[in-house]
This record gives sequence, structure tokens and C-alpha cells, in this order.
Amino acid sequence: MRKLNQLAATTAAAGLLLAACSPSGADSDTGNGDGGSGETLIVYTNSNADGRAEWLTAEAATAGFTIEVVGQGGGDTTNKILAEANNPVADVVFGLNHVYFSQLVAADTIEPYTPSWSEEVDPALGDPTGDGMYWPVVQQGIVLAYNADALAADEAPTDWTDLWNDERFHGRYETVDGLGGATTQLIFAGILTRYQDPDGDLGVSDEGWEQIQGYFEHGSPAVPDTDLYARMAAGDVDMGQMFTSGIPSREEEYGVTTGVVTPEFGVPFAVEQVAIVQGTDQTEDAQAFIDWFGSADVQAAWSAEFDSMPVNAGAIEQADASIVEFHAGLQQQDVDFEFVTENLSSWIEKVELEYVQ
Amino acid sequence: MNRSGVRGMLRSPFVIVTGVVLAWFVVTFLVWPNANLLIATFFPDGTLTLRAVDKLISSERAMRSLTNSFLLAVVLSVTVNAVGIFIVLVTKYFDIKGARLLWFGYASTFIYGGIVLAAGYKFIYGENGIATDVLLRFFPGLDPAWFTGFFAVVFVMTFATTTNHMLFVSGALGKVDQQTLEAAKSMGASDWTILWRVVLPMLRPVLFAVTILTFLGGLGALSAPQVLGGREFQTIAPMILTFSTSLTSRDIAALLALVLGVATIVLLVVLTRVEKGGTYFSLSKVSSELVKQKISNPVVNVVVHVLAYALFAVYTLPVVLIVLYSFVDSRAIESGELSFGAMSLDNYARVLGQSSGLRPFIVSVVYSGLAAVISVVGLIFVTRILSKYRNWLTTAVEYLLHIPWILPATMIALGLIMSYDHPNLLVGNIVLTGTTVILLISFVIGKIPFTLRLLKASFASVNDTLEEAASLMGARMMYIFRRILMPAVLPTALAVGALNFNSLLDDYDTAVFLAHPLFQPLGLVIKANTDGAVSLDARANTFVYTVLLMVITGVTMYLVYGRAMRPGKGRRRRAGRGVLPTSGGASVAPVPDASTRPGAGVTARTATQPSAEVA
Amino acid sequence: MIRYENINVTFGDFVAIPQLDLQVDEGEFFTLLGPSGCGKTTALRTLAGFVQPAAGDVHIDGRPVTRLPSDKRRVGMVFQNYALFPSMNVWENIAFGLKVRKESKAEVDRLVRDIARRVDLSDEQLEKDLAALSGGQQQRVAIARALVLQPKILLLDEPLSNLDAKLRGQLRIQLKELQAQFGITTLYVTHDQDEALTMSDRIAVFNHGRVEQVGTPQEIYDQSATEFVCNFIGDSSRLTPDFVAQVNLGAGSDLPLERSSYLRQEKVGLQPNPALPRSAALDGVVVSRRYHGVHSSYTVSSHGSTVKVMQREDGTVQPRVGDAVTLHVNPANVLQYTPDGVAAATPDVAAAEVTLR
Repeated sequence: MRKLNQLAATTAAAGLLLAACSPSGADSDTGNGDGGSGETLIVYTNSNADGRAEWLTAEAATAGFTIEVVGQGGGDTTNKILAEANNPVADVVFGLNHVYFSQLVAADTIEPYTPSWSEEVDPALGDPTGDGMYWPVVQQGIVLAYNADALAADEAPTDWTDLWNDERFHGRYETVDGLGGATTQLIFAGILTRYQDPDGDLGVSDEGWEQIQGYFEHGSPAVPDTDLYARMAAGDVDMGQMFTSGIPSREEEYGVTTGVVTPEFGVPFAVEQVAIVQGTDQTEDAQAFIDWFGSADVQAAWSAEFDSMPVNAGAIEQADASIVEFHAGLQQQDVDFEFVTENLSSWIEKVELEYVQ
Repeated sequence: MNRSGVRGMLRSPFVIVTGVVLAWFVVTFLVWPNANLLIATFFPDGTLTLRAVDKLISSERAMRSLTNSFLLAVVLSVTVNAVGIFIVLVTKYFDIKGARLLWFGYASTFIYGGIVLAAGYKFIYGENGIATDVLLRFFPGLDPAWFTGFFAVVFVMTFATTTNHMLFVSGALGKVDQQTLEAAKSMGASDWTILWRVVLPMLRPVLFAVTILTFLGGLGALSAPQVLGGREFQTIAPMILTFSTSLTSRDIAALLALVLGVATIVLLVVLTRVEKGGTYFSLSKVSSELVKQKISNPVVNVVVHVLAYALFAVYTLPVVLIVLYSFVDSRAIESGELSFGAMSLDNYARVLGQSSGLRPFIVSVVYSGLAAVISVVGLIFVTRILSKYRNWLTTAVEYLLHIPWILPATMIALGLIMSYDHPNLLVGNIVLTGTTVILLISFVIGKIPFTLRLLKASFASVNDTLEEAASLMGARMMYIFRRILMPAVLPTALAVGALNFNSLLDDYDTAVFLAHPLFQPLGLVIKANTDGAVSLDARANTFVYTVLLMVITGVTMYLVYGRAMRPGKGRRRRAGRGVLPTSGGASVAPVPDASTRPGAGVTARTATQPSAEVA
Repeated sequence: MIRYENINVTFGDFVAIPQLDLQVDEGEFFTLLGPSGCGKTTALRTLAGFVQPAAGDVHIDGRPVTRLPSDKRRVGMVFQNYALFPSMNVWENIAFGLKVRKESKAEVDRLVRDIARRVDLSDEQLEKDLAALSGGQQQRVAIARALVLQPKILLLDEPLSNLDAKLRGQLRIQLKELQAQFGITTLYVTHDQDEALTMSDRIAVFNHGRVEQVGTPQEIYDQSATEFVCNFIGDSSRLTPDFVAQVNLGAGSDLPLERSSYLRQEKVGLQPNPALPRSAALDGVVVSRRYHGVHSSYTVSSHGSTVKVMQREDGTVQPRVGDAVTLHVNPANVLQYTPDGVAAATPDVAAAEVTLR
């Protein structure tokens, strides 16, 4: 009996703990979205790594916003919002590109809002439907990066397809077989979209699929938990996929000089967007937060801190010239996003089943 | 024993109340979500779609993964038994110097498992690993990436899943009657003959049950293949995980899960058949305790000692190194260097000092604790009814309660999301997604079969006449339950609760789908730390988390098992007659579960297990 | 006191008791005797209320109790394995039922100590753990636990079968003494005929769920009503028609030859018994001899029958294997049964009594 009592006591204590560890201001949060406290904004993002979440929380606090950043991968964040559609936890979501956002819009999980800075951004980078459901904040090139210390510029490949078609690069580039990441999916989208063929499997010609096969056949598989740059530094591989804002910090950390391949087709751009989650009961706070977050000054600071390429014209002016220059030098690939959005998940499934080795 | 029919059973108010709650739970959380998921995937428009079957059959990778999973299961059945029986024999049967120390080494799998364990082994044996460095010094030609693929997976899983042997085979061995050994010896049998012809055959039922668990564990293995399998050795479980996250590919995940499910069912049926095979144990009333056997052949004796300590090293090395590395800075970890001068408490200060550092811990502890308590307490009532009344209704309910064995945790999580992301009358029109409750529910669901099996065995070991005697003296059902049955099953209940608690602490598969964003459990944080090595501190943080996890699980195991193993004092100890799952009275040992903490993640399959009551 | 009326008990397809009618009187020590699986325990458990009969009624004190729960029938029970609660000490075990009744603490303690004294358990033993008690002491705890509630009926389900032979003998006496002392109506289940014969006031012999015979121990033994009872109780030899014919011839009796005939081993002698003048003398040869100390058991072959003979070891010279002997048989002691197993006629009681004298 004594043990049973202990058990009961433990249970009670556990319950108390759970209640006690709610963050301040979000006490009533557990059951029903963000409750009525009207204080803490829940921000979902896939752009939380490398201290971004902490930085944003602190900066927002100075600006008068109490926020809680919940970071997960792009796919997970999307799935999470979809799953919570009828009982949303998040108030704001940012960082996802429009492939994900179009899924969210389709599921009716985004509340339309036109931020105060909407005039300061290139509308072409935002919602391609023109409905203005979500708005761009950061643009990110998805590139093939190589170790410039190992490969001279004229030895480097000129396009992704060189990697498997030119024996020199066999085994020297990293292939990623976890296909859930936004970066990886954009790479495949960027390649497959060039081989559009209405008669082909999933709208892609056989030649297109041969490229995917080549990609896996001749690559060096990514090593879990080991960064591409760590492998480049160790000499295991010489090149691999990279998102542009990640390059400067990695160059510094691993002491690798980066070269970037610039195919004639251009490189796919992932434009990180921001929007309000449908069902928030803090619409005004959420709007104010977005107005603040996307503003030129904040985006400039964000860029300075995390080497990102802003979208806001005012922020671009203030941003590090080298970053702006670098991105200006990248030709944006004209990806048919409608085609991609429609087929991406089927492509990924096919790649998983038939090509990943 | 009341074997009465359904009608008689329903006369008891206790049964009715428990039954109503149970029926609601089964329908709401076991049947409907999963049925919903299966219907949605295979009958999207009301008609059967076999798209997934076509896709799978034409996918070379999928078929190879399936083959690999079965291959792994078969090989593990052999290797785990070989190692498992060996460690049980050297700790409990043979007279080996330092057997107690050895036991603690082998028991290291009690305190860590899953992705943490796989990562630990990789850290030591992988490229740049300390063991690989040493090996390279002796064999310069060795491929630094030698520890990968099939071999590595089998190696790691072999040592990670002997926990079942430690728990259940040890228990069964303890019940072997010393007199039978003496009888064999008197008839001139050698050490080997006694072991092979007398002892092992007596362990057959429990070995069989453990083998099935191992097989199922191999079939559903997730983290070990993921971390160590590399491209050349992929298995099903990671594929299920991959496909289940994508809305369009979910049918493929469901189909793969069904393949595993069917294999599980087939094995369980076989097990049940064999269970009925008969009594293997001495039923003698005067059995005498097993005395440790000396190995008479000096050469064999030395060889066994050497082997035992070699295994000890294999078992303890990862734990020791993880603990040591948790004190050194990230750069030293990266390079695999280890110098005592570089050790400090910085990592701990960083992890615990952050305002957010402790939070995932508390969240995990609270979730796991609640899930463990709810599953055990709830199932005590349920099991009580299931074991008291035997009729078609209770049999059907019992089968339904095993559903979580058949479907992987991922699928169950998806089913819950699909079914309760909109108001549903079954749960009072509350939307469960986006709440803190849904993760708790799925934790509880996942622990049902394991808890049920062990509790049932425990109830079975309580003599029916105790209950009759009490009722004759006027005790009401609840009073009997409280005063007579509870004390008898409490040790098992506590042990099961502890195992449940431990296995949920670092859960990732379920949490990734269901966790409330503000209450993220440890598994998610650990995974986030291991994803991408952008931050050098991440790995150090992981070590710290791992050590803290081991401390928590270690303490839990000690509270439940350690105390019971101490020579007892006071009369209360008698209550522990049924002590621990390892020694259920009449049953041979309510056997295990691949998901008892130990195998937990390495065998990912949340709960696969049968029990081997001989009765 | 206790009356079974038309009781029928079935378990699924298995009919454990087809039809039972039985009456037990106040204060009686009544034994249900039979081989295992004969339904005796089921009959006991039906009385206790653990088994619900499919038909018929059980009456206690003239009141039907069939629908009454166990604890309302005022029966106490001692189980074969005692069913002592391992989680409680001796005192707690005995006090269990009193506590359930919510007697005052002082009253509970008084009653427990009182009953303990009467079954010879010391105060010191009351505080002990069950494991510290011997089998005999455990049994007394079980009896005390049953008696402390002052039941009208005490049920004993093979309470001695777990004990060794010597203890069994002692406890048999103690148990009977206790029963006499308390004067409580007792139903005793056993498969041991010695226990039944020595302890019982009356015995009911069970076979396949039916009562073969009810009677005093002596009636059961000397006037076994059926062939089954004759075989189950005591040690007897089956006689060939030839043997019976020789008996008829020697004693001038007219025992029918076609019936099954038996002769108990102590009712045949190797010397003529002057008290039984009408005996027949038959020739035989000793086949084997077993020495028991007090007596020897001979097997004698005679007229096609293998006759067991008990011979007192009184110091006289005894025949050895192979010796020719003469069997002295009183036809009144030959038990005869019709082909359906029922006693052909009441054996000649007068003659039997002469035999005893």
C-alpha cells in the first residue's frame, strides 16, 4: 500500500511539474491554441538554426514582442501546421519556401495579410498566384558548392549534370539520400523541371530520370551527422549542395574556400516567406510582428547576423555588399513552380523507391 | 476462477465501469484511428487501390530492404541468442570470477538504447572513432569506415538487445532445480552434457519467446540500420518513417507496416501454439536453489573467462566513453581525442545553464512518467478482468489491445492525427491535435501490449484460491483487489512501469508527429542536436543529454530492480514473491518485449512481444 | 443442516455433477471421498458459492442459499494450499475477515488472539511472516482464519495433502479434535480413504460426479454398496466363479456364481477361525509375500483367483513363497455385485459381526 501511495504522489507531482513548466504567459496554452493570454506569439519556422531562434526572440523582446520560436525542418513544420489546422498552435510561420506555403494555402491554414512593407519587396519573389497570402523575407540560392582549394575554377563542374556525366567527379560529390529537406527537394526540382515531358513518367522524360539515376550512382553518400564542409575539409568529397546563406559561416568554421557552380540554367532560389496562421486569436499582434520582422532594419540586422540575402529593398541597401553582390551574380533558375508543386511529392516518392541506393 | 459467460461478467459494477472506459478507449484510440488510416490509404475513394503494391514490387530498393530486414531478423536470432545465453550463463550459471561486475557491465543496455546507443557505438567504432584508431595502429590497411553496413548493424543490435536475455532467461535459469543437475552429474554427465541436454532444454520456452522478440526486433529495426547501415544495408523501418511523412506516399508506408504486422502476427500465433506445448519446468515442491557450476576443464575455464571479460569490454566501452566525452570540449570530441586535462563541467553548465536546457528533460520525464503510470494503473484493472473472465468478449478485447504491436508507432501517430484533427464525437468534439494530450495518448497506446502481457502473467501467478478465500470472508471485489491482488502484482507493475518510463524518455518517432511545440520532449532535442554538425557544441550537448538520460534510467532501474535484489528485510518483502517480471510464480517468466527500454530504439518497433507462460 | 437438492454442475460441455442429492446433519464431520476428478471438490465449492449449479438448490439450515454470495452463506473454508495471503503476516491473515466486517480494533485483536490460542498458535507466531511457519502451523493459521468468523459450516478441501506423512497423521487427530471442540458442522474433501475412515461421522463416496454410497465409515467399508466403492476402499481380491463355487461347496452356501465377487484381504485367513464355524477351506499356493512389520501381505493362488491375505505377524512361523496353504473363507464376507455394479444383497450383517468378535 505504501508503494501505491508513493505512486499516487508521484503522479500528482508529475502533473504539477507539467503545469509548472509552461512558459510564462502561455499557461492557458495547452488546450486550445494560444489561448486568450494575448501575450506570447508562437512562431513556427525552419529557419531557427545557428542561433537564429535565440537572436530573434531577444530582438523581438526589445521591440516589445513576446515570442516563442518553435523550430523544425521545413517538411516537419509544414506537416505540423497541417495537422493542427483545426486547433492551431502557431500564430506566425516563416522560413518556408513557396512550395510548402502553397500546400499550406491549399489546406486553408494561412490567413491573408498584406504587410506594411509589401511595397518594398519584389512581388515576383512572393506568392506566385498573386493572392498575396504570404510574403518574401529572405532569398536563398540553392547551389552546387565546391572546395575551391581542391578544384580550380576551370576544373570545376559547370552544371549538376557534369557530376555524373564526367568521370572526374565520380565519387567526389556528396549525394543526400534523406529527401525530406527543402534544399534537397529543390535540387531535384531544379534538375527535373528541365526535362519536362507531358508523356514522360510524372511529367518528366526518361532522360530526366536518367540524371537522377546518375546522381545516385556516382555520388558519395552523405554521412549522417557530418557536415558537407567537414567532409570537404577532410578531403572526402569536393562538392555538394548548399544554401547560400550557410556558406560564410561554414567557410569560417571549417576553413574551406567555397566556389559556386553557376549553371547556364541558373540556380533554383528558395525564397523564405512569412505569413499569419489561420485561426490565430492574436491577429493584431501577429500582424504587428510581421510588419516588424519584414521591415528593412530588422531584415538588414538579420542579414548582418546570419549572412542572409534579404528581399526587402531597404534591407538590401544596408546589407553587406559582398552578400548582395554574390547573390546578384547568381542567375535565378526559372523553375516552373506550378509544375513542381503539383509533382514534387510524387517525384520524391519515385526517387526514394527507384533511385536511392 | 469464474469462467462464466459474458452475461454473468456484466453483473459486476466494477466490470461495467472498467468495461465502458476500456471499450471507449479501444474504439477511440486503437481501432478507429488505425482503421481510418488504412481506409484512407487503401480505399481513398471507396474503392481498393493497389497502387502501393505495384510501386513496392517494382522498387528494387524496397524489395532489397524487405529482404535485408528479414535477413537481419534471422541473423540476430542466432547471434543474440549466442551472446545472450553466454552472458546469462557466465553471470548466473557458471562460477566465474567477478560475475557480479560482469553482470553490471552486461546490464548497461538497461540504461540506454535506441538512437543514443547506435550513435555511441558509431562514435567509438566509426571513422575517427577511438577503437578504429587503435585498430588502425595494428592493421594499417584497415578501411577506417570498416564499421558500417550489415556487419555493424548486427554487431550493435546483438549487444543492444540481450537485455531480454538478462531479464527473462536469467529469471528462468534461476528456477532450474539444482537437484536435476546433481542427478545428471551422478549419472556421469559432463559439464557440457548437463548444460546442453538438461539446462538449456529447460529454458526452451523462454528462449523461444526471447528469440521471437529478437526476430521481431530485427524486423522492425530502425536506428541501428539508420545510423550504421549505410547505403548497402537498408531496412524497412526507416523507409516506413520516410514515406509516412509524405501525404502522397503514406499508402506505401502503410503497406510496409502491414508486411511487418503480418509477420508479427504469424510469429505470435506460432508462439501461442508452442506455448501450449507443455510444462518444461520442474514442478517439484522441493526444488533447491541453483548452485554456480565450476567449469572443470581448466582450458575451457580460461577461455570462458577471457570471452566473458572481452564481452564486458564491448558492453561497457560505449558507456564509459560517452560519460568521459561528455566532459571534454567539442573540438576534442570532433577529433576523437581524450585527455583528462581537457575535462571540465563546461558542457553540463552549458546544457543545464540555458533556460531551455532542462526543459526538454522535465517535459520528457513528465510525459514518460504519466504514460507509465496511466498505462500500468489502467491496465491493472483491465488485466484483472481479462484474467478473471474468459469468454469471447474478453478474448476479443485482448486481441484488440495488441494492435499497437502490429502497427509501428509512426503509423499510430498518423492515425491519431488523421482522426482527431477535427472535432470528433468520440473525444467529446475536442480537437486533439495541437494539444499536449495527444502525445500522452499515443505514449500510453504504445505501451499497452507490453504492459498487458506482463501484468497478465503476473495476475496468472496469483493463486485463485486467495481470492476465493477473501471473498468467503466477506471481502468485496475492490477490497480483494486492493489488499490481496495489488500486493501480489505490485512488484511486476512497478517494474513494468519503470521499463515503460525508461523506454519513453528519449522517444522520437512519436514525438516528431505529436509533440506540442512548446513542450518538446528530449528525443526531438537530441535529434535536432545530431542533425547537421553546424554547431560544434551540438555533439557535446548530445553526450550530456545521453549521460543525464542514463542517470535517470539507471536510477529508475535501481529503484525497481536494485532494491528488489537486495537481500530483503522485514515481512513486506514477501509481497515481492512474484517479484519482477523475471519471476512470475507459475509462469515461466512473463517474457519480454523488444521495446523494454533496452532494445527500445535500436529495435524501434514499439512493443513486440509475447509472453511465455507455460501454464 | 446442509442439503444438496438435484444439483447439476456443468463446465461448458463437461458435466461435473449430473445430479446430486445429499444431506449433512448438524455437527457432523462429513467427508466427500473419491478419486481425483470425481466431483467432490466441485460439490464443496458449490456449497461455498464458488461454483454456480446449472440446476438444483443448496440449502443451509433449511434456507436455499444457491443465489447467495459466498460470504453470506456463513461458511469457512480451508484450502488445499491454505490460500494464505503472502503479503500479510499471521495476525493480519486471521484478522482479514474481521477487518472486512469493520469490527473495532480491540475486538479484532481479541478475537484473533482468542482463536489463535484455541488452534495453538502463540502470540509470538502471530507476528511472524508466513514463510517462517511450518506446514502444520500454516494450516492452523488457515483454520483459525476460517473459524474466527464463527461460520456455521467449515469446509476443508484436502487440507492435509500438502504435508508429509507423519505430520499428516498428527494433524488428522488435531483436526478432528478441533472439530469436536468447536462442534462445527464440517465438510471434508479428501481422496485419502484412511483420513475419511478415521475422521468422519459419515462419508459420501463420489465417482464421476455421482454419489456411490453414503454411510458411516463402517458401512462404507463392510457393506460397500457398489463395486466401485468396494474397489476404492480397502484392499480386496476379485474372485473367480470357480473359487466362489468352492466356497459354496465347502461352506454349504449358495452364492450366485455369475456375480462379481470380492474378498477383503483381512477377511480371509490361513488358519481356521474358531469364531467362524461356517467357513470353507480352499487349497492354495503362496505366490508372494510382503512384510510390513505388523503384518504380512500374502498373495495366494487358489482356484484361478489371486487372493490377497493379510496375516498378523504374531511371532508364529509363517508360510513362505511356494508353500501350499489353506484359505479359510466365510461366505458372509464375500461381497457380491450385479453386472451393473450394485451390491447384490445386503451382506449378512450378523455373520460380519461374528467375524469382528
